[in-house]
Amino acid sequence: MAGVGNVKLEVRNVSKSYGGRLVLRNIDLTVEEREFICILGHSGCGKSTLLNMIAGYITPDNGEILVDGKPVTGPSRSRGMVFQDHALFPWLTVLNNIAFGPRVQKVPKAQAKEMAREYLRLVGLEAYESHYPAQLSGGMKQRVGIARALAGRPDILLMDEPFGALDVLTRESMQAELRRICETLKPTVLFVTHSISEAVYLADRVVIMKDGIIADVFEVGMPHPRSSHSPQFDEAMVRIERVLMGSDRPDAGYPTEETLYAPKAGSA
Amino acid sequence: MSRTNTAADLPRSEKEPIRPQNAASAHIRTSTPRFSIYRLTFLPAVLMFVLWEVFARINVTLELFNPRFLPPPTMLIEEGWRLAQSGIILDSMISSTTRIVIGFIIGCAAALIAGVLIAKFKSVEYWFSPVLTLIGPIPALALLPLFIIWFGIGEFPKILLIAWTTFIPVLVYTLDGFKTVPSTLVRSALSLGATDRQVFIRVMLPAAIPHFLVGAQVSLGLSFSALIVSEMMGASSGLGYIIVDARNYFKMTNMFIAIILIGLEYSLFSWLLRLVERKALAWRKDGLRDAVQR
Repeated sequence: MAGVGNVKLEVRNVSKSYGGRLVLRNIDLTVEEREFICILGHSGCGKSTLLNMIAGYITPDNGEILVDGKPVTGPSRSRGMVFQDHALFPWLTVLNNIAFGPRVQKVPKAQAKEMAREYLRLVGLEAYESHYPAQLSGGMKQRVGIARALAGRPDILLMDEPFGALDVLTRESMQAELRRICETLKPTVLFVTHSISEAVYLADRVVIMKDGIIADVFEVGMPHPRSSHSPQFDEAMVRIERVLMGSDRPDAGYPTEETLYAPKAGSA
Repeated sequence: MSRTNTAADLPRSEKEPIRPQNAASAHIRTSTPRFSIYRLTFLPAVLMFVLWEVFARINVTLELFNPRFLPPPTMLIEEGWRLAQSGIILDSMISSTTRIVIGFIIGCAAALIAGVLIAKFKSVEYWFSPVLTLIGPIPALALLPLFIIWFGIGEFPKILLIAWTTFIPVLVYTLDGFKTVPSTLVRSALSLGATDRQVFIRVMLPAAIPHFLVGAQVSLGLSFSALIVSEMMGASSGLGYIIVDARNYFKMTNMFIAIILIGLEYSLFSWLLRLVERKALAWRKDGLRDAVQR
């Protein structure tokens, strides 16, 4: 899927530390236009920090982040964000939540609402336009969150474990939904997750992060829609799991006494 | 008065546990509309007055203590009617209501404006927050004699006292509202292209409004104390004045009438404020009412 598109996002030699602890070390990442990238890793590996830095909420200690060749200096509409806790404005109706982006970008009110309706149709929630977020289920809230981020017409869509708080069934239907939306709009997406199957299902490329570095980049290269029951899917999962669990031994993936408690340097 | 609503609603769920052996019958019982004593929200208040009447009447005949100390409610109604015909009650209510409405609105508005300035400008926060923490805890009523000496005994010191009493709690709650806005809300607004100004107007302000309204509800009681006390000192009209006047001439019935009117007026204002709150926070769906369907 990667194609020969232009470079959309460039992360160059970025590091970040909190209180003396290095969270990200010399990260280099290039994302092409219309690519769907999953950033995969354990909690605390720095994947959310990287995403927040690309969004412009936090600044790197050194290195730089370029979007369309321009350095990121702070949050802007060029990078839309979908949060795990959906972060909808509770006092606005569903429609006004989605129209928020166009409205603050000075689109006239009627036109903004029309745009919002379009994105609401895209996520299949036309019937709920005058509901408040508190009246929606978790999955519906996240659909609105995605529609709202898309309505801001970002160059890159950033998603920070958007389905992490959903139950398994809702989660799977949301993944299919997101794939369908991506086939229609073909946005550039950076999707942070800690679920291997989610990453393999969604991504063109999976960036595997471990202890603040990029451990490996994995091209999935399977046609959509992907089925989690195919042998290729299993193979991809096993290969990623092996990198993630940090050993090439056959029992990789199942932490033993040794891998859990032994000091990192001497364990292998 | 409407407070009895929620108070009376509460015990129902506690008194009707669904026993396992006849869960089915319990289900049928609750699903069919039937008479419930808890729907009669006025009952406790009525009962209180009836008991008061009976006790006071007994006291009139037996003279357990001086009957003038506790006149029966029927006598209060009689006296109240006479007082109303003389126009004193209407006059007092009008002057008290004017004071509390003006003072309360000025206090709330000032608190909201100050809250916005403190939240928006670091310099304002730096210069004013320490001053406010210094003078905020002083009971406003302690300031009244000072206000009277500074500004005389006209309307101004009374309204100022009410406004000041309202101001401090509303400001504290409003600032708390600004400080507790979830950071993801601000972040998502910024990522949708909002400017700092738009973030403030479209995110910070609406997020702080519920806190502001809680502050207003809390300070309403304090504002009423400020009203009554300011009318007790150097006033010639108002419900507080009736009480002082009644004390000076030992008119116990007048004192009771004024006390009851204060209670009614407070209930009215509290109800109005809750109405505003319900309208402004229609998007909210939480709390006891929605926790369990009853």
